[in-house]
Amino acid sequence: MAHKKAKASAVRRLHRSFGAGASLFLMFMVLSGLTINHSNGLGLDQRHVTQPLLLGWYGLGGPENINSFQTAEHWLSFAGSQLYLNAAPVSTISNGIGAVSMGGMIVVAGSDELLLLDGEGSLIERLSANAIGAGPIESIGLLEGQTVTVKSMGQLWLADAELLSWSPSPDSAEAPVWSLPQPTPDTLRQTLSRQYRGEGPSIERVLLEFNSGRIFGPVGVLVYDLLALAVGFLAVSGLVFWSRGRRNSKRKN
Amino acid sequence: MLMNQIRTSLLLIFGLSLPSLLAAATVYESQAEFLARAFSDSQPQPGIAWLSGERKSTVQQLLGHDYPALRLRYWCQDQRSAWILEEVGKELPITVGIVVDKDYIKSLRVLTYRENRGGEVATPSFTDQFNHRVLQENGTLDAAIDGISGATLSVKALTRLATMALFLHSDTGCKDGA
Repeated sequence: MAHKKAKASAVRRLHRSFGAGASLFLMFMVLSGLTINHSNGLGLDQRHVTQPLLLGWYGLGGPENINSFQTAEHWLSFAGSQLYLNAAPVSTISNGIGAVSMGGMIVVAGSDELLLLDGEGSLIERLSANAIGAGPIESIGLLEGQTVTVKSMGQLWLADAELLSWSPSPDSAEAPVWSLPQPTPDTLRQTLSRQYRGEGPSIERVLLEFNSGRIFGPVGVLVYDLLALAVGFLAVSGLVFWSRGRRNSKRKN
Repeated sequence: MLMNQIRTSLLLIFGLSLPSLLAAATVYESQAEFLARAFSDSQPQPGIAWLSGERKSTVQQLLGHDYPALRLRYWCQDQRSAWILEEVGKELPITVGIVVDKDYIKSLRVLTYRENRGGEVATPSFTDQFNHRVLQENGTLDAAIDGISGATLSVKALTRLATMALFLHSDTGCKDGA
């Protein structure tokens, strides 16, 4: 008899512990379940996650660095291998090192190629450093405000007006004004980071993954399974205690 | 025993990743070498062919898409022109040098190949098929180009560029000695 009472007491203690532990989980499941049921009405399938932490969790992190260069009218920015004219993605280029504008055109330099863009960012021509005759490009600048100049392996190369032919600079040439990185304005940085990440998952999808535990990967699913078993245990132990209480009250009566 | 297993695993990982490590761009010929071959005596100054209007739409028809630049540089001398064009095979652009003489292709060479597979299109035994091909009125070459198993997209890309070069040679007036 004493053994039975001790056993019942242990189960009751377990019931209370599981109940307290599972209550938060249950509340979350109830709230997220209700929200998912009405996600279409709430427009959650159309709205996308914008929180950097969540986007990072989904592998949609922002660029490691944004290097920006200012020309007379535009900002040219490099985020990874993506090139942006102001806030618009225009092309790809590896190891962007500078940009200059000349006669309505923009010349963007990467370590191994030049991109010639029009004022709206359309690609006019992609020119490899090999085609210039130079090695890896180190800097780009303007000589006397009009001649596009690149520096490669210590040698300066000057372009003609149409950027068709390049020739080594004579030693007596003046020093060009090199394109140097400028601090990216905050608003531009935020816009570029958003563009670089792309559109995040819908809020509905995130809720569904939270609700199933999948957002935390296989471990999350396992933990949710254990919590679901705990809730099952609560239901069974609750029924047992309820039926015992009922029987005891009948006996007393 | 454990060390052996680790060593075997590392060798396996290295072996499996070897093809991707070897997947860097292969440069077969530089622009300077290509032009020296195209114009052995004296190299002409480059000209510009703007891709706009009717020329742009014809190029689009030949390629099946817009060419990813608004202008092309080319070299023309005595009814011979040299073109350096790019077209995506499967995922990455293939850089091709094409010499057109009068109305036929004198030579076509892959200058840079960037794809992991299909590099066989750069072999002379394949590219020599383009020699003496002319452009028909329907925008195709006058003879079929034999494909290469596993390099179908690259073969098609080179064929498209060959037709584009023949068209541009005529459209820019180089064919008529302009």
